[in-house]
Order: sequence, then structure tokens, then C-alpha cells
Amino acid sequence: MKKVLYFPTEKKESWQSFIELKVKELKRGLIEINSGNWQLKCRDIIYLKNLCERYNLTIVSINSYIPETIISANSLGFESSLELEFAEKSKRTFDNEIINSLQSPSTFFHQGTLRSGESLDVNEDLLILGDVNPGAIVSAGGNVMIWGRLLGIAHAGKHGNDHAKITALQLRPVQLRISNKIARGPKEKPEQGLAEEALIEEGVIVIKPAKNS
Amino acid sequence: MTSDTRVILICSGKGGVGKTTLTANLGISLASKGCPTAVLDADFGLRNLDLLLGLENRIVYTAQEVLEENCRLDQALVKHKQQPNLSLLPAGNPRMLEWLKPEDMQKIVEMLNDQFQYVLIDCPAGVEDGFKNAVSASKEAIIVTNPEVSAVRDADRVIGLLNTHGVKPVQLVLNRVRPKMMQSQEMLSIDDVTDILALPLLGLVLEDEQVIVSTNRGEPLTLVGSNSPAARCYSNIASRLQGEEVPLIDPAKEGSSLKDKFRRLMQTKIF
Repeated sequence: MKKVLYFPTEKKESWQSFIELKVKELKRGLIEINSGNWQLKCRDIIYLKNLCERYNLTIVSINSYIPETIISANSLGFESSLELEFAEKSKRTFDNEIINSLQSPSTFFHQGTLRSGESLDVNEDLLILGDVNPGAIVSAGGNVMIWGRLLGIAHAGKHGNDHAKITALQLRPVQLRISNKIARGPKEKPEQGLAEEALIEEGVIVIKPAKNS
Repeated sequence: MTSDTRVILICSGKGGVGKTTLTANLGISLASKGCPTAVLDADFGLRNLDLLLGLENRIVYTAQEVLEENCRLDQALVKHKQQPNLSLLPAGNPRMLEWLKPEDMQKIVEMLNDQFQYVLIDCPAGVEDGFKNAVSASKEAIIVTNPEVSAVRDADRVIGLLNTHGVKPVQLVLNRVRPKMMQSQEMLSIDDVTDILALPLLGLVLEDEQVIVSTNRGEPLTLVGSNSPAARCYSNIASRLQGEEVPLIDPAKEGSSLKDKFRRLMQTKIF
């Protein structure tokens, strides 16, 4: 039997104490979490997971109206889905930057994993839903966003745009290229569940935790 | 039997990872479980499936003569003596590479469809014409790879090509696994490989010296009823292919039991 745990609808109180009470009531089993209009960061989800484990509950999936919550849940390896109909209704205003990057007609969208030997070369921004495996090359005139792992080579701003960024849920590339700069990928593995972005700062390519995650 | 014949391509991309050995052993395993099985050598350039099965000296006609209609299919098929459920359709001479087309390959497989439940195609290494011919005739595929970066990379490339050809499902066999090296993290782990390739794991095959011995003798391990680690792995894979649920061998536990140690000791004394 799967139970659904809803977050409080009113935003006055903090959710932690509310959820802890709810979790105490449920005893062992599978639960689905619906976080409603709350934005959860990775550390919030880890807190939830630990809380549930203490009461012998297993989280099956995490659903939300907020895309950022889904990104965090996904990057921690949870099943999650965006409840779209409600998301439209919710009055929350999205970050302009996200809206632009998702809606602008100049974004090329690719779904599926790029395997060794395959390549994708576009003039617009590039959004990939899937992994880029070692041996694969993606390049874009604008930004490169990968909802998955980047293990191959990515080139952003190939026409010389120094402001282009490369973002991935897991950034572990063989090589990174932005504009005319080239950098080798980091040797050490990045922290799990931390989306990262690469950009040019003071003439060199640096990797930082991604914003909005 | 026509419609539910399973035409399975066994491929890897990289050479020397164990395609032919897997084809031979899987063929014998399936045949000994009572399924009429054909193994088809699609590696025309460097054929050696017949060697592994010990059938080299019994080949009269090959796929080439069948296609040229110089002989009937059943004349070219070589039945295995000890395992009559298994037949080999030998590859013709290497010059076939020049004129063989995907349609020819499809024609051969269609002919085999009537008589067999399983048709295993031993794919050549690489991704050139020979590979394309073999892919065009198959419905599903097994990718063989070793826990090495280069083999995994090539396998990844091949999976991409199989997807574009619409071959489904594609399953993975991880060959030449050395439990000790995996434990000490000197070798890619099972998770590392499945992480990149993102395929369902059909089975593991442990590194086993007996494989070399059996190859040189032309007697596949599964034929002689050997109880060596690799033979058990092959037979498990055959069972899983038929839809049975057999748990994966845990490489961490393998070889540590007293029985295994004793058997290894015995083998070292004999050979």
C-alpha cells in the first residue's frame, strides 16, 4: 500500500515540523511525497529521506508543482514528476532566466542519450534530456544544458560567445570548450546530487555549483 | 516455429572480447535445453566459429553456395555430433565481403527461421559493412563487453548504431570479469559499466583459464558438462535468455568457498 504525504497548503508555518508530525503517524511502508508549492533543495530532500528512514518509510517518488524541486529530487536519484496542470495555475512567478531559456525559440531540444561516436551540432542554445557519454561531442552556438550526465565533450558558444555556459546535473566531461577556450575535465568526481555549470571567468573556464538548484 | 524464432545478434564493436566464444557456448547451452538452435557465422573475413565448435573438418558447403543456389540449405548446415539440436551455417570465403548485401543476409536468416527456435549471429568486430549486414538481419542483440574502458567505449558506439537500426531489445553480457581485481577497484566495476551503457545486464562471465583450453580443443565448455565458473555463467545466460529468473553470480563471493579453492588446487596439479 502506497500512501501520499502532502505538504501544508498554507505557507505560514515551516514545513519541517508539520511533516515530522505526519511522518510519525504513518508507520513503515512506501510513501509518495507531494511537496505542492514548496521549493525543496537537495539538502531538504536529504532531510526528508533521513526522517522517513527513521520511521521505516521508503520514498517512492517526489512530486511537486515546482520545477526546481523536481530537479533536486531527480539529481538525488528519486523518481519524480512535475504536476503540470497545477503548476500552470499556481501564481508563483518563475525566474525570468529560466523562462527565457526554456521558451525562447532558439533552443534546440534533444531527448535521449548521446553515445560514443555520436555528435550534435547546433547554432542555438542546446537542451539535452539524457546523458552525453564519453566519446560523444555536443556543440552549440549558445548555452549547453544537459539534464543528465556530461561525460563526453561539450562546446558552448562555438561562434565566440564568451558568456555561454555549460550546465549539467553531473559535470564530469573529458573536455570542456567555451568560445575559443579549452579546458580538460576535472580529475576528481563531483559531489553527488549537485548540478554544476562551467563558464569563463577572468579568461579561464571554471566550474561552479549551478544557480537555481 | 516460424513466427517466434528469435534472431539474436551477438556483437561487441571491439575485437577479442568473446563474441565467438559466447556464441558457441550459448548455442550449445540452448541446444542442450532442447531448443533447435542455429549459429550463423557472419564474420566472413576472419571466420572461426567453426573452430570453436570443433566442426572445421566437416564443412562441405557454406552460406556462399546457399546464396548462389549451388546447394540446399540443409546440405550446408553442419549438425553438431554430440548436440544434434545445434547446427552451424559456416561463413563462405573472405571474398564474400565484397558482394554480400544486407538483403542476402536477410535471405539466409529467413531460410533458417523455418527450422530453428534460436538463430544466433556471430557478428564481426568493427562497425563497417560486415556489421551492417549482420544487423540488418537480426531482431534483437546481445552486446558483449569486457570491464575495460576501450571495450566499453566501443560497445557504447555499437549500441547507438543498433538503436538507429531499430534492433530491440539489446542486452548486455559482461565478459572476463576478475572478481579480485574488481574488489580492489583496479578494474571497472559492474556498476561503472551498466552506468554508461544503460542496458539490462543479461549476465556476467568470469575470467576462466578453461575457456582457452576448450577453445584450443574445439569443445565448448558447456558441451563437456564442465563445472568451471565460466561454464556455469554461460548456462545461466542461456536460462535467462529463455525467460527464467536466475540470480546473477556475485563476483565478490565467487572463488572464496572451500569447494572452489579445492577445485582450483586440483586443476593446477593436473594441468
